[in-house]
Amino acid sequence: MLERPVYLLRRALRNMLQSPFLCAASVATVAVALTLIGFFAIIVVNIQLMTRDWSREVQVIAYLDVVPAESSLKGLIEEIAGHDHVQGVTYVSRQEAYERFAERLSQDADLLAGLEADFLPASLEISLREEFRTAEGVSTLVAALKQKKALSDLRYGQEWLERFEAFVRLLKVAGAVLGGFLLFAALFIVANTIKLTLYARRDELEIMALVGATPLFIKLPFLLEGALQGAVGGILALGGTFFLFHLFLQEGMSAVLLATGTSHIAFLPGFYQLAIVAGGALLGFAGSLVSLRKFVRL
Amino acid sequence: MIQLYGVTKAYQKDSSALNDITLKIDKGEFVYITGPSGAGKSTLMRLLYGAERPSRGQILVDGQNITRLPSSRLPFLRRRMGIVFQDFKLLVRRSVFENVAFPLEVQGRQRFEISKKVYQILKLVGLEHKLQRLPLELSGGEQQRVAIARALVVDPSVLLADEPTGNLDPEVTLEIMELFKVANARGSTVLLATHSREMMHHFPRRTIALEAGRLVGDITP
Repeated sequence: MLERPVYLLRRALRNMLQSPFLCAASVATVAVALTLIGFFAIIVVNIQLMTRDWSREVQVIAYLDVVPAESSLKGLIEEIAGHDHVQGVTYVSRQEAYERFAERLSQDADLLAGLEADFLPASLEISLREEFRTAEGVSTLVAALKQKKALSDLRYGQEWLERFEAFVRLLKVAGAVLGGFLLFAALFIVANTIKLTLYARRDELEIMALVGATPLFIKLPFLLEGALQGAVGGILALGGTFFLFHLFLQEGMSAVLLATGTSHIAFLPGFYQLAIVAGGALLGFAGSLVSLRKFVRL
Repeated sequence: MIQLYGVTKAYQKDSSALNDITLKIDKGEFVYITGPSGAGKSTLMRLLYGAERPSRGQILVDGQNITRLPSSRLPFLRRRMGIVFQDFKLLVRRSVFENVAFPLEVQGRQRFEISKKVYQILKLVGLEHKLQRLPLELSGGEQQRVAIARALVVDPSVLLADEPTGNLDPEVTLEIMELFKVANARGSTVLLATHSREMMHHFPRRTIALEAGRLVGDITP
């Protein structure tokens, strides 16, 4: 029962051993193509993390002209926190507002000399749940907050938010276009390399057909070979990606990237690492399949 | 048995490689297909093993109409045939043993059966002492013997040979001819395309002559 699969696997392995140069060419092509895609994925993943960080700053600040009594303040906070868009509400008293301001002024804090500590209004900092950190989510919340008389003035950086959203949209489109292009280029290059390796072995394909091999019997070892080579290429690409990550993102570029406010640059998460190896196998398999169609007609 | 009825093969509209060929070859016969270059010998061979389909006419092999055979059934037709070429068509990276074993592997035979049959056939063609060699380490005559062994290992009902001695010197040609005679004696119908008069002189058999795609002679000595 197992004799056939074992035979096909043995043939695939022997084919690779018998033409190490062709095999290495396919593996290297997959490795280079996937290293580029992997490196690109690191950038995309980190931009995603960065924008998520930035979106934490999306919040609504409600100023309180008159600070209500503690019990009604508590009631107000609980009421706002009960809104389904709201993640949390922080009360900033006049004193705290003053201290923050002073801290921000740091060396110029003496400008505050002579001013009372209560010249700044108290406020509620209302943060939103991640899924509502959008222009639309904010305006829904603001509309609800406007119903409450205790809140005199609402600040929510609508303009900043719209620009931020446009920026994220642009990143997504650019990512999809570039990623799609890289993937297509990888498939094209891999398929062509495999086509060359098949071309070198077209005699073998012809002889197989002449002695009565079915197309499936001819193709299977080549498909298996393509998938194996692709998987090995994927593993190498993972190493290559890590090397590039270390070289450019950890050491070389870190100073530049830190300037954008990113404190830490992450390597690909486990799922992406697995996807690169699986993607390699798939790329090799698809490359072989596409190329074989031209060679195995009988 | 091989039967052809009005078989025409045209690659271009106004010239045909084979033109209205009708002939019958009985089971167990030994037949030469002869004629000058471009007469249509190779085309006839290619039609018989299904590499090409006729433009017109019908071809029957052992009663089966191969012109209507779906391409998925073609491999199974070829498993009953042995095919030998002028350029041997051996797998150069595989040993003599592996080359001869290949058709049996394709058919999914058991390993012990394969080893036994391959050894027997290599002994028949006199190469049992070279089974681990690679084809390119052998002489032309030896390579052709490997190719014949590969064709015979499946006990073919039909053995097709297209100019099998075209690349070999006269002495080796006679050795190879002996092998075809053995194959014929083992029960295979042999069709041998050649333009070597020497061969036909040494082993006179039924000779079908083609010229410019037409059947111009069918002589049985």
